[in-house]
Amino acid sequence: MALSKHAIEEIKALPQRFPEIRSAVVPALDIAQEELGYLTPEAMSEVASLLQVDPGYVEGVATFYTLFHLEPVGEHHFYVCTNLSCMLRGAEEICEHIRRRIGVSREREISADGRFSYEEVECLGACEFAPMMRYAHAYHYELTPEKIDALIEAARSARPASARAGVIDRPESQEAEQGHGR
Amino acid sequence: MAGETRASLAPDDLRGSHGPARHHLLTSLFGTPDLHRLAVYREHGGYRSLEKALKEMTPDQIHAEVKASGLRGRGGAGFPTGTKWSFIPKDVPGPRYVVVNFDEAEPGTCKDRYLVEHSPHLLLEGACIAQYAIGSHQAWIYIRGEYDRPYRMLVEAIEELRQAGILGPRPFGVDYPLDVQLYRGHGAYICGEETALLESLEGKRAQPRSRPPFPAVKGAWGRPTLLNNVETLANLPWIVDHGGAEYAGFGVERSRGTRLLSVSGNVQRPGVYEVELGVTFRHVIMELAGGPPPGRRVKAFWPGGSSAPVLPESMLDVSTDLDELARVGSMGGSGGVIVMDDSHCVVKAARRLIRFYAHESCGKCTPCRVGTNWAERTFERILRGEGTVADLQILDHVQDALQNGRCLCGLGDSAGWVIMSTMKHFREEYEAHALRNQCLAGECNVQRVGAHA
Ligand SMILES: Cc1cc2nc3c(=O)[nH]c(=O)nc-3n(C[C@H](O)[C@H](O)[C@H](O)COP(=O)(O)O)c2cc1C
Ligand code: SF4
Ligand code: FES
Repeated sequence: MALSKHAIEEIKALPQRFPEIRSAVVPALDIAQEELGYLTPEAMSEVASLLQVDPGYVEGVATFYTLFHLEPVGEHHFYVCTNLSCMLRGAEEICEHIRRRIGVSREREISADGRFSYEEVECLGACEFAPMMRYAHAYHYELTPEKIDALIEAARSARPASARAGVIDRPESQEAEQGHGR
Repeated sequence: MAGETRASLAPDDLRGSHGPARHHLLTSLFGTPDLHRLAVYREHGGYRSLEKALKEMTPDQIHAEVKASGLRGRGGAGFPTGTKWSFIPKDVPGPRYVVVNFDEAEPGTCKDRYLVEHSPHLLLEGACIAQYAIGSHQAWIYIRGEYDRPYRMLVEAIEELRQAGILGPRPFGVDYPLDVQLYRGHGAYICGEETALLESLEGKRAQPRSRPPFPAVKGAWGRPTLLNNVETLANLPWIVDHGGAEYAGFGVERSRGTRLLSVSGNVQRPGVYEVELGVTFRHVIMELAGGPPPGRRVKAFWPGGSSAPVLPESMLDVSTDLDELARVGSMGGSGGVIVMDDSHCVVKAARRLIRFYAHESCGKCTPCRVGTNWAERTFERILRGEGTVADLQILDHVQDALQNGRCLCGLGDSAGWVIMSTMKHFREEYEAHALRNQCLAGECNVQRVGAHA
């Protein structure tokens, strides 16, 4: 999968925002991942050549940061916090419930229909609403099995996205574009 | 949240201190409808301090007020802010930066998010005052990548400021250009450490730098850089408005003013509370946060994020004074107060935190990379019911190896303190688990196996 023309333009415009070109690597990978869903080796090389930095360097950066996915994830991916404040308020049960409902046996496994996956993450900085998770660029607070069921139900009844970019609700991706643009 | 519109960015789901109270220096306006809008913020006196600073004060005068305030950094180390500012060289030509640490990834800490979601302009005004005070024209806010809503709120607030000319070449008609840019992190706790943050901002893997040189002298892109926490900077408008002496009228001894404590875990009213420094944790946990659920007792609390050594219930009367916390073997840290009640197992909690430090270790120093992994495997063995005396010795050994300057940054120490402090105060829980396969809290499986055996 190659990057779209639009993404390439966005990436090329990044370096001017920073005193040094390397600072553009992470925002560029962000654009690539937003478009492709995860970072393929080709996408990383493409970013490297667009920014004229070494491909090994780009890969080194991509593998360091946990928000970059080097393998596909489900179209609906839940980042569930399991750190202490959330654990003390039932995060383990929430993870177990998600596994059961989407039919996977471990984190990062993709459901049979290819639509769902989840990941156990470290503290997301919303501990007063534990247990909580990040999903579709928003925080979801004080999770219960019922809340999880409602979200999964809503996701199932929504049409599957054909192109990755369509997964994210319009207002969100406009925001994201705005963000990248400045 | 899908389809969230611009108007609904205003959060209605925030919990903690709100509204007027004598000691609410940061949060008195929180809860005002649409406070995140520039117009509303200004109606309530917002940006008056920045205007005053630019028009009526010299950078040195601002610096003097900050020194007089006694303010200490709210990011973790509690370093005196006025002193930190004085490390910025005055005579180096070329750009210099203010970098705002909004990485907030210390487990149990959510106060900076709370602050920005309530009042993004409070942070931006502080960051602008800091620029003027150190002779900088550019601030960078390093915000953790998962903070979608605070990010969007800051994007909008910055746009409002550009349109109003407060960011730009002539804020309030004064010939002193100001600007603020955002940089999103990508999920790595170590980015909160100041030198790792700078590496990350420069587009590299976030591995801490050895110091000296300190960021004040050689920081972002090799330039002099002032790096402060969100809450630290958010105090500046108040200090400029009322003066440092009045700020110092709050708090105790060397812990002046107020701070935001985020209280989470087993309490009835988790939330972010602004307290005057010097109140006790009993007040914070039992009164403000409503204490543990009915029928439960507090077993332990982490007074300043997961990196602050844990304290047992018997120490609830310890105060929030940073020096007192240091005297009892802990620290004020990030202000994240994690409360655990007696239905939970200390060994299991420590294992979870050690897994965090092992996962987040950047791998640069051997004691940290190897030690945290070793500790994690030892905890796994103990909790699987395969623990022995040797495992307790390993933990003793590893916690020591992680501490006392053997590692390049504070992450190693923090991991060591988790083991050290939980073993110190709850040795019997460790022994029950490792030697008798018993969970004294009745939470872990080993105990159930043991009980039926
Ligand atoms: C591993 C580690 C993580 C840290 N994370 C944060 C953080 O998320 N936010 C923060 O403000 N400071 C964090 N700090 C402290 C910073 O290094 C630095 O001391 C602080 O941002 C300085 O700001 P202050 O003087 O205003 O407190 C961390 C330190 C360490 C060692
Ligand atoms: S102490 Fe750990 S996190 Fe810090 S620099 Fe060393 S290896 Fe990296
Ligand atoms: S521990 Fe889950 S959000 Fe902080």
